[in-house]
Amino acid sequence: MDVDATWYLVLSALLFTIGGAGVLVRRNPLVMFMCVELMLNAVNISFVTFARMLNDTGGQVVVFFVLVVAAAEVVVGLGIIVAILRRQPGADADDISLLRG
Amino acid sequence: MDDYLPLVVMFVLAVGFVLLSIASSKLLAPSRPTSAKDAPYESGIVPTRDNPERFPVTFYLVAMIFIVFDIEIIFLYPWAVIYRELGAFGLVEMLVFSVAVFVAFVYLISNGALDWGPLRRSRRLDGTLDGNRTSSSTIRRIPSRTQVEGEAAPPAAREEGASREAVAAGAAVGSTSEASTSTEVPV
Amino acid sequence: MTSTAAVLAQQGDLLVKPEVEWVAITPLLVLVGGSLLLLTLSALTTRRPRRGTYALFTVLTCAGAIIASVALWDRVQDPARGEFTALVGALTIDGFTVFFSVLIALSIALAALVADDYLRREDLEGPELYALMLLSGAGGIVMAMANDLIVVFLGLEILSIALYVMAGMHLRRVESQESAIKYFVLGAFSSAFLLYGIALVYGATGSTNLSEIAAFLSQNVLESEGLLLAGFALLLVGLGFKVAAVPFHVWTPDVYQGAPSPVTAFMASASKAAAFAALLRVFFSAFSNHASDWRPIIWVLAVLTMVVGAVLAVVQRDVKRMLAYSSINHAGFSLVAVHANTERGVAGALFYLLAYAFMVLGSFAVVTLVGRRGDAAHDVDDYRGLARERPVLALAFTVFLLSQAGVPLTAGFFAKFYVIGAAAEAESYALAVIAMVTAVISAFLYLRIIVTMYFAGDEAEGDAATGRHRVAIPFGAGVSLAAAVAFTLLIGILPGLVADFARDAVPVLLSAAP
Repeated sequence: MDVDATWYLVLSALLFTIGGAGVLVRRNPLVMFMCVELMLNAVNISFVTFARMLNDTGGQVVVFFVLVVAAAEVVVGLGIIVAILRRQPGADADDISLLRG
Repeated sequence: MDDYLPLVVMFVLAVGFVLLSIASSKLLAPSRPTSAKDAPYESGIVPTRDNPERFPVTFYLVAMIFIVFDIEIIFLYPWAVIYRELGAFGLVEMLVFSVAVFVAFVYLISNGALDWGPLRRSRRLDGTLDGNRTSSSTIRRIPSRTQVEGEAAPPAAREEGASREAVAAGAAVGSTSEASTSTEVPV
Repeated sequence: MTSTAAVLAQQGDLLVKPEVEWVAITPLLVLVGGSLLLLTLSALTTRRPRRGTYALFTVLTCAGAIIASVALWDRVQDPARGEFTALVGALTIDGFTVFFSVLIALSIALAALVADDYLRREDLEGPELYALMLLSGAGGIVMAMANDLIVVFLGLEILSIALYVMAGMHLRRVESQESAIKYFVLGAFSSAFLLYGIALVYGATGSTNLSEIAAFLSQNVLESEGLLLAGFALLLVGLGFKVAAVPFHVWTPDVYQGAPSPVTAFMASASKAAAFAALLRVFFSAFSNHASDWRPIIWVLAVLTMVVGAVLAVVQRDVKRMLAYSSINHAGFSLVAVHANTERGVAGALFYLLAYAFMVLGSFAVVTLVGRRGDAAHDVDDYRGLARERPVLALAFTVFLLSQAGVPLTAGFFAKFYVIGAAAEAESYALAVIAMVTAVISAFLYLRIIVTMYFAGDEAEGDAATGRHRVAIPFGAGVSLAAAVAFTLLIGILPGLVADFARDAVPVLLSAAP
């Protein structure tokens, strides 16, 4: 069974959109953060698909870097979120709004 | 196809065993729930709200540290595949990479991020915390100096002092500087 | 199975061993090495070091990076040797790289000097902030030297991830943590867009290398440009976020206000410069033959950024927020120079970024000092009577603010002059006029602060009544302020020095490595 590569691009775009919508709609910092990860991994699908279409390994190597960057982001993000939740248990994006002009 | 037969049998057996266990415990075990039995404390105060869950931040820390080291390994696999072709160059590169990663590790250890027992020493805690405090305890001791000079401290520090009664502490990285409050006032 | 091994062995023969030109990346190595060394040493010594040791170490590291950059500059400007690509075409070493290495290293040094006393005052002392600053700066330099979109992405992430932590550095201020999480979520969101843009450009052109992309685009006509244009747009979203271009600016005021003041200084100077470096590198040098596609977008961004920045700055009460909006306005000016898409425009942008770095570093240094313990006194009213209390500090702040307003004899005047000149040369007169109008609007804001410092508050006993501490000017911050004032005036009086530097630093696009 051969699946047209375009479908993978569509899948990637869909996942990216779901992730983007999630960041904008959800209020829990942890969930927003998971949505960002979803976006990054959606892009990974794109990269692999393009690499396959172009017959070029470059796109696959990119995925390694993106994964590592995403991991570093996870750590920093969790650190910040834990620091905030320790101060205000159950805080969500609307609670975190001291700063405005 | 024949090669896969044992695998299929194994799979069927595994799933079958799980289903069988669940079904048998449902069927055989007596089940007579009452409201008193379901309460968290069978005899005692009726809880009005959920217990705040407390567990040491050290768990989070270890998880985070694990993620970093776990993912760095990703670069070792492609390197290992072409290790011979790369020769000395690859070795040097990987050494540089490892050193950079392990500096972070040295830093973590020196900050006590991996200490589970009593807090041994920490550069920035000298005198502000007593040694009985553990990195995994949830009670923070308030330095007495803050209270004495509390009036002189600016609002931000005072507010912190107030919100300190029993905050979950513990993350060495987080709490080291958080816990210390000197009240020097810039002239 | 055997066939796979044979294929692998064959590929092994074909494997091109990458060559690492260590000389090319010396500024980077100095910064990263300094940061690692700082962390290791501070981890291994148990005794608390003497005051200011960390800051001194940071400044020395930056000095090392600047010396390394100057050595590179000689090599790059030497016609016999010239610019070159390093690491198998992933990096371009040219005047542009050196320019931003120097700019970023200077920013780190000045911000570290301010941070020294700040950290002691807020009882946050430790090597972390300095190590993160050095690493973040290294990320910025990576962005400036990138010749590959993936390297741009990596540089951006190194820069940003360190900045997220730095923004949340002040553990006792809720605002600081709030700004960290806002910056983090929005920053990660925008870098996902940037990455998607890279993926689409890769899909359209078959490479992430800027030289190869440029070569491909000049030799081929794409059947459908949809993919490429969507890629451009997403790249602009990602980079636009970092430079704080409207409508991707919403994070800026909150983060600038909440982050510790020395970190804000670093953010506004080095991080913004690095983002512009990437923008120029990608759009001016690689996508220049598709300029008609992206220039209109930049035009709209520039106008929105300048107008919104200037107008919203005027209605703020918090000085940090004012400066945040004014930094948005300044980003708009730099975008005007990018829009020109000429060498003169790029030189103008570089001049602007360098001049702006000093003004904004100085401004936030003053803000740090006036913020006093707790980093909270940032209302305009807190500047009342500063001129009487600390005449020198008020004078320095006046210089920075006048420079930001673009008053002659300061760096800001020539910065704006070159940018508007470049816009006029590129025949975008409307843009030049809008730029001048917003300059006038934002001048009102700077004057308001100056007036507050000098003329408001003659109630000498009022301060004593409120029990406010006198603003302290510690040594490190003093040095930093003096340097910033000196550079601001020097560039304002002798703009030729920096203008020549900027002109020689226009990025070049080297052809793909054979």
